[in-house]
Amino acid sequence: MAYQYRPQQQQQQQQHNGLQDQGFLWNVFQRVDRDRSGVISESELQQALSNGTWTPFNPKTVKSIIGMFDRNNRGGVDFNEFMGLWKYINDWQNIFRTYDRDNSNFIDKNELKQALSGFGYRMSDQFYSILLSKFDRQGRGQVAFDDFIQCCIVLQRLTDIFRRYDTDQDGWIQVSYEQYLNMVFTVL
Amino acid sequence: MITAAQDGQIDAEELQRCLTQSGISGTYKPFSMETCRLMISMLDRDMSGTMGFPEFKELWTVLSNWRQNFSSFDRDRSGTVEPQELQQAISAMGYRLSPQGLNGIVKRYSTHGKISFDDYVACCVRLRALTEAFRRRDGSQQGVVSFAYDDFIMCTMTI
Repeated sequence: MAYQYRPQQQQQQQQHNGLQDQGFLWNVFQRVDRDRSGVISESELQQALSNGTWTPFNPKTVKSIIGMFDRNNRGGVDFNEFMGLWKYINDWQNIFRTYDRDNSNFIDKNELKQALSGFGYRMSDQFYSILLSKFDRQGRGQVAFDDFIQCCIVLQRLTDIFRRYDTDQDGWIQVSYEQYLNMVFTVL
Repeated sequence: MITAAQDGQIDAEELQRCLTQSGISGTYKPFSMETCRLMISMLDRDMSGTMGFPEFKELWTVLSNWRQNFSSFDRDRSGTVEPQELQQAISAMGYRLSPQGLNGIVKRYSTHGKISFDDYVACCVRLRALTEAFRRRDGSQQGVVSFAYDDFIMCTMTI
């Protein structure tokens, strides 16, 4: 069940991977850090990431990702934080490639359903239609890489906040109107 | 402008065109696509991704009220309101939110520290949709609702 599932990218995996070679990463970092400030900003990261189209990477997603790794509230990441961020993005790329079976750089409704079911979510068919129309910024009825990440991030955040309220962990919460509004607005 | 509708239903793009041509946003900038999509989903009771004329009329009334509310706070006619003004506008509509909830809203809907009319409408649409979703589940009107996880996700993600 998605509720019990904690996706891999949230765990601290210290696996050695050729891609995580520090020298290589340092080169990447320097290339992305255009103004050589030692910190990669949201706009620098956005320019470095590709969603498989000619449109800029989803700015909300960039902001969320930086926020996840920016431990000092700088609005950007230094090299140490960047190593974690890079692995995070690579993990997402691997997941995306797994489900983008026709290699179109887009995930259609069925592929999205398979991906999220793979994470343990159990949702209706209609829900996936709604998800697509909500997150698809390209307007093609499919999700590009950045929008796919955005969708998954929002799902994770909602799951986390649900978990916080579900103190007896039985998959149910009881909330007042104000609590409900507060829950949702801290996530959405 | 309603003749844009094929079989009496309009989608987000057609809604955006309609609202822009109608001038309902007055001197404020026209609505973004994302806000139009939100407006459709707020009234899209059959989950078709489109809205019919009765829903459009409902939206029109609601938008006019929101615009009046917004302009009463936008005293300097800048087209934007300050975070505190947004919080006041939300309370004026009758929503009671905690400081964290209000802060969350301000963070989410401000661009460069200010809130535009388009952002304000997006926020109001969500408040309204969340309220409706809650009421629908609060059959006995106790002000408390139980959510199972799957229902919580489906309900909240679609707002």
